[in-house]
Order: sequence, then C-alpha cells, then structure tokens
Amino acid sequence: MSLSRREFLRLAGLVAGGLTASACSPLYRGLSGMPATLAGWPPVSGWDFQILSRLTYGPSEQDRLDINSLGWKSWIEMQLTPESIEDQAVAWRLRSLESIGSDPDVLADWDKEVLIDELQQAALLRRVYSHRQLYERMVEFWTDHFNISVWKGDCWFLKAIDDREVIRQHALGDFRDLLWASAHSPAMLVYLDNQVNESAAPNENYARELMELHSLGVDGGYSQSDVMELARCLTGWTVKQHFWQGQFTFDPDLHDPDPKLVLGRRVEPAGQWEAESVLEELALHPSTARHVATKLLRRFVSETPPAQLIEDTAQTFLATHGSIRAVLDRLLLDVLPEWGAKVKRPNDFIVGGMRTLAADTDGARPVQDYLRQMGQPAFEWPTPDGPPDRSDYWISNLMPRWRFALALAQNQIPGTTLDLDGLASAAGGDPLRRMAELLLGLQLDPKLSSGLQQAIGQVDEQTRLQLSLAGLLASPGFQWH
Amino acid sequence: MKRSEFMHVLRESCCEPAAADRVRQTWPAWMPRLAFGDAQRGDILVVVFLRGAADALNIIVPHGEAVYYAQRPTLAIARPDDTGAKAADRVVDLDGFFGFHPALRPLLPAWEQGQLAPIHACGAPDESRSHFKAMELMERGVEDPAGPASGWINRHLASLDTGNPSPLRAVGLGEAAQRSLQGAIPVTALRSISEFHLAGDRRIEQLMQAGLSSLYRGDDPLGRLGRETLRILDTLERLHPDSYRPREAAVYPNTEFGLGLLQIAMLVKAEVGLEVAAVDLGGWDTHFAQGANEGHMAGLLADLGQGLAALHADLADFHSRLSVVVMTEFGRRVQENASLGTDHGHGSLMLLLGGNVVGSKIHGRWPGLESDQLFGPGDLAVTTDYRDVLREVCGLRLNNPALSQVFPNYRPRQSGFVRRG
Repeated sequence: MSLSRREFLRLAGLVAGGLTASACSPLYRGLSGMPATLAGWPPVSGWDFQILSRLTYGPSEQDRLDINSLGWKSWIEMQLTPESIEDQAVAWRLRSLESIGSDPDVLADWDKEVLIDELQQAALLRRVYSHRQLYERMVEFWTDHFNISVWKGDCWFLKAIDDREVIRQHALGDFRDLLWASAHSPAMLVYLDNQVNESAAPNENYARELMELHSLGVDGGYSQSDVMELARCLTGWTVKQHFWQGQFTFDPDLHDPDPKLVLGRRVEPAGQWEAESVLEELALHPSTARHVATKLLRRFVSETPPAQLIEDTAQTFLATHGSIRAVLDRLLLDVLPEWGAKVKRPNDFIVGGMRTLAADTDGARPVQDYLRQMGQPAFEWPTPDGPPDRSDYWISNLMPRWRFALALAQNQIPGTTLDLDGLASAAGGDPLRRMAELLLGLQLDPKLSSGLQQAIGQVDEQTRLQLSLAGLLASPGFQWH
Repeated sequence: MKRSEFMHVLRESCCEPAAADRVRQTWPAWMPRLAFGDAQRGDILVVVFLRGAADALNIIVPHGEAVYYAQRPTLAIARPDDTGAKAADRVVDLDGFFGFHPALRPLLPAWEQGQLAPIHACGAPDESRSHFKAMELMERGVEDPAGPASGWINRHLASLDTGNPSPLRAVGLGEAAQRSLQGAIPVTALRSISEFHLAGDRRIEQLMQAGLSSLYRGDDPLGRLGRETLRILDTLERLHPDSYRPREAAVYPNTEFGLGLLQIAMLVKAEVGLEVAAVDLGGWDTHFAQGANEGHMAGLLADLGQGLAALHADLADFHSRLSVVVMTEFGRRVQENASLGTDHGHGSLMLLLGGNVVGSKIHGRWPGLESDQLFGPGDLAVTTDYRDVLREVCGLRLNNPALSQVFPNYRPRQSGFVRRG
C-alpha cells in the first residue's frame, strides 16, 4: 500500500524537520565538518537493503533511518519527490566549486582541465553526499542516455550548462521537455556536429542519433531516408559565437527551405519549427516509449526485462505523456520485486564503497583516477551510446576494483579518508561480521568468512579491520547490487 | 595520474639508457620465460578495431577513380602523379589504381615484404548504419541479432582446445574486454601491465591476495574471473614492464594505441601463452572536419600506421606465427558533406598483416564509385563479407576446424587472403 502524494509529502516534511533539530543528525555533522560515526548505524531488512543498493549509491546511515521509519514504498515516494528532501549537506560539500551556476561565456575563459576536474568532482560529491539519491541516479541515467563527451570541441565548458539546464533540470520531469532541451543544448549540437549542419550538404550525425539513441531506438521504425530528411530539417540549428558564446541559435541562411518527408509526414517549410515539430512527434512516439522503458527497466530492474513488462511500462509512459516520475513510480513500486542481479558499474562500486562506509572525500583527482582506471570517468565516454549498462561488459577487469578496495581501507587515497576509529567501535570486536552486514546487507557465507579470517591470520586490531574492509569491498558479493 | 602522464612515464622508462644496457645482458630482465609452449597452436592473433566507422576511401585511396576526386573536393588525397600537390601530400601508389594515404607510409616495408594485405569494399550485410548495432553484430560475428550472444573470438577459444593453461590466453587491451572477446571463456581486460598489481605494503598485499583467493572460489563467471585475475597477477609479477625495450626499428607512437601494441608485443615475447589480443583505436566518426593530409583523420592514420609498423618490426622474430587483423564497423559516404566530413556509409575495408598473408595485393572485387555502382544513399558497396576473411584466418592460421561454431549459419564465398602455414 502506498501513501497518497499529499499524505506522503506531509510525512516527508515531518521527517526532514525532525532531523534538523538533532545535533547528532548527519546534516549537523556534515555542516560542522565533524566526521560521521557509524555507532548508531541501524540495521535494515534484507529486502530494504536491496532496495537501497539498487536505488541509491549505497545505503548511508540516513537512508537506513529513513527506510526504517517510512517503509520501502513511502521511502521510494519520498525519493521521487526530491524537492521535499533537504540537501544542505551536499550544498556544503559543493560550496567551493565556482563553476556551478556560472554562465557559458564566463566558463569559456576557464582553464579546460580545471573545469573538467570540477565537473567530475561535483558529480562525484553529489552521488556520495546528496540525500536525493534516486534523483542523482536518474541524473546519471539521463547523462548516459544523452551522452556528451567533454573532449569534443567546446563541450568541455558547454557540458557544464547541459548538465545544469538539461539533465538536472528535467531528470524527473517530462521526457518531452528533456528531449526538447537536449535538442536545443549547444553541448549536444557541438558533440554531434549539428552546429555545422547546413543545407548545401547536410551533416547526418545528430539527426541519426536523435532517432536511434535518444528517442525511437535502432529498431524503432525509421529509415536512412528519415535520417537524411530530419538532418535537412535540422540545418541551421547551431551555436552562437563570440560575445554570445555558447547559446543556441537558428540560422535561416543555413537552413534548407524546401519541404521534407519525415516518418511518412510531409513537413512544410517552417524554419526552426520543422525540427521542433518532429521532436514533438518523437517525444511521445510508441517506439520512444518502448525504448525509454527498456532502458529504465534495464537500469533499475533487470538486464533482461520480460516483454510484457516493457509493454506495460511503455503504456504508462504514453498514458502519462512521458512523465518520468509517473513511469518510475509504477516501475519501482509495482515491478521492483521482479528484479534480477546486476554488476555494479565502476561508479556504483566506488561511490558505493565511500557512501556506505561514510568516507570523507573531496572527490578530487586521486579518487577520480580510480574511476578512470576502471573506464568510467564522468562525462568522458567518447561515443554517443554512453557507458554500457551490461554486467558482462563491466566484469572483465577486477584488478582496479581490488586496488581501490585496498587503498580505501588503508586510507591511502589522498583527499579521501575513512573514520577507522569510528568503524572499529561500530565493529565491536568482530569486524568481519559487522562490516559484512554493513557492506553486503547480510552475513558472509560461513565458509568464505572463515577462509578470509584464516587468510588474514594473526595481525593487529587495525590491520584486521582494514583487511576485512578491503576483502569485503573486493569480494564477489560487493560487485553486485 | 592522468593517462597521458602515465604513458609518458612508461615511455621514459622504456627508453632510459641504463635500463637498455641492463637488457642487453643475457636474458632481458623483464622476461620471465614461462613455458606455455604448444606446437599445435596456430598464430598469435591481434585484432585491431577502428571504432566509429573508418573512411576506407581515404585509407586505401582509389586514385584511379575520377569520381572519387569529383565527390571529394576538399577531402580527396592528390593523385600520385599530381605535381600540383607537394610530394608528401600525394597518394603512395601501390598498384597503379589504389594507394596509401600518405600517413600510412610507415607500412610500406610490410607491403613490400608481402606481409600486408588490404581487402577493399569489405563489410557486413547490416544496413542500419548504426555504429552500435553494426559493432554489436560484427563483434559477435553474426548477421541475425537473435544469433549467439557471445563474441566470435570467444567462440573460437571455446571451440578449440589448444591445451594452453595460461590465464593470458586472450587479453583485451583497455578498461574492459572487447565485445568480440566476451562469452563463456573468461577473458581479462588489461589496461596496463605495470598497473596490474595491488598497491601498498608488501606484507599487506600478500595477505590481501590470500584473502582474495579465499573469496573467489565460486563456479560462477565472477568466481572464475577472480581466479584468472589472481593467476595473471602471479604471471605478470615476474614481468618487469618498465625495463622492456622494443627492437631498435620499432618506434611505437606515444599514444594509448601505441602503448597497447607495445604491451601486446611484450606479452608475445615473454611467451606467457598469449593467443589472442584485441585492441581498439577510436575516433573515426568523422562527420566534421575530417581533413585530408592534415587534421583529425590524418592524425588517426599516423597513429595506426606507426603503431602497426612498430608492432610488425618489434615482432620480427614472430612473423611466421603472427596474424594481425584491422577492421571497422562500416565505411563512409563517398560524397563529402558541407562540414568537411563524411556521413555513415556501407562498404569499408580490412587489413591483414603477418608472415602468412597473401600480401602485396589489394584483395576484393572493386565495385566502382559511379552512381549506378553505389549502394543506398551513395555508399561503397560490399563485395567481400568480413566473415570470409575472419573465417579463413581462423581456419588456416589459428588451426580451428570448428568454423561453423565460430561463424554459425554462414557459407563462405571468398577465400585466398592467407596461406596455410
């Protein structure tokens, strides 16, 4: 049974209000810079742990408190209403990042590498510290769906705007607005070469990926001729230079003035509106509904979703005119029980380790380098398909995961520290048992546990804790969620 | 450390004179000399995938085609006899009709030795012109998306028992294993040999390794991969990549691709049981500012040409059992677009490099570039299916008799790309 939105909001408000009053709350600790302790970390049921593992970047103390007091369904409802969740702690973590909120013409004067570092740092800090975890996971989902690499042309500063005004703005809004904003986003137009698409001999790159990747899907029923005709509609969609650098503009001189035929419909000459009218059609096309539904199911439920589930989810998409929140609401509340195991992508693995163990991180280069070694630094995937969402892709290389596990547990990553004393007191003399509950949500198989104990052997208290943590982070169990 | 810095350090250490002197004494210091030898085993296969749909017409240029010049006013490479262009900017003629892009000049020695075989107008039947669908199907070696989900190289490994117990039987260079390598046989991705170890205090490392051995016992893919990773760790521990010195004639480009090839050569020479390596070179999706003799594509071709030439020179002692295959998902439109680039096309090419290729010859029937000879919206037609080439390499060079398992439901049409050893 789920609460009505109104009841839920009231409840969420009470929960958030109650927390700020307490001096022991994570918010207070975050604001004061006091390290979190795990002494009060509450256990959650196996089911709730799974929910948190899949829908957050790793269960924090706060997530555990929330899901215990709300129940999993209301917890999901709360997460689907991120504006109801206070998030001062992450604001505090981001306070020194000056690029957030700056205009493109200002960012264009930044040093390229410094700005890219800051973008990646912000993404990591939000994933580790935001209480709006499902929102952040959806931000990552759409960042992948509308992938842009910062290494293409001016995307190194334009992506900062795209991240803010396209992805973060619409992550839980309406798909139509998201697609519309992405199509008008200078970063996307540069990334897929539409800023040079002109009538003399059109550039098909963006038109193709708009249908293949962003909306209809590769088997969504368009043809090579549709690609070429849509490319003609998109001639003249470009980006301003010089003083107005980094803003969208439509240049009628570059636009093909003749009628076009897209998806069987004659598009009369209408300048910028020609492609916009196709966007309206694509946004709510049944193939788009199926494509988006399939990708959402693969991210959150199962890598091989049954056809009926895809169909049902697509129907919700169409019935709600592409409301992302409504689709998720149904998908997560009704369908989650059908989920199948997924391998954590590098980002899930690294953020998950830090978040679950309440690490204090600056999110800067040293920790980012581990993501790079594993092949998932933020905003750098070169091709427009975005980093894969397939377990088999991500389990061909365990060594960098093992390296990270050992480095994190030993506090050897500059700028990232675990409160080992706090963890020791939470572990209460039996680090392997307690840390397994914390990281895996359950006890290690007794055979594995005694094997690991034996391998670690007779070492001092602190080393035992560190090797237990490293072993658990590196274990097969922690690679799944 | 940033990737570029890391490569810089590796390069510096390779070329450091003191290290070089050490290497010249008796055994190279980096070489563990493990015996995984097997007389029945076929060639070492190196698969280079050019990701993004490489423009075949500007790699092996059909300079004998007038249409090529008419359709590419800014992108065409000048004819070999075009005195209007600088000599260094003209096509390097190979057979009077085709020639190298000038950036591929480093491959001339291999061509002259008969060890390089380009196959032109080569590709897959897929007409989606989608990078991702085309790569997915090509790396699985199938035409029907409902076909086997494994990669063709993995099916080759699964169907041929070479009695090779090495955990480094097949390696994907990079952060993750290539699609062609994925399947039932566990395959490891190797980004860098020198990073492939646990970092930290030696005693802690050993305890961690023991702990990992106790945890990765399961008979699931992850359990198997974990055990393979520990065995690779064991093997690579005896290699000292920082003191590896390529043969003098082998100058690898200082790029990720060059570093990948250098590491492949290192594994080959170390005799650690490597049978297959896959490595990628990305960035070929040249819709915009492709360039002719300068610019984006020329840079990629320099990387490709120098890299392959270096690998070929470095592995001079291994030519009789080396097969390198270069492939890409499809080709690009004949006519250039208004943004000095080319859009997605159809037919492309493959390159074979090694001691047993039928070299010094451009393979494949040339379909021509006149409008009635083109395919779809103006693309080079496909006259050789890529599977004909891979299948022959698998059969004749890798000694795999189970070709119907590697390329199910496929009847070969062309042959003669490689010789039986």
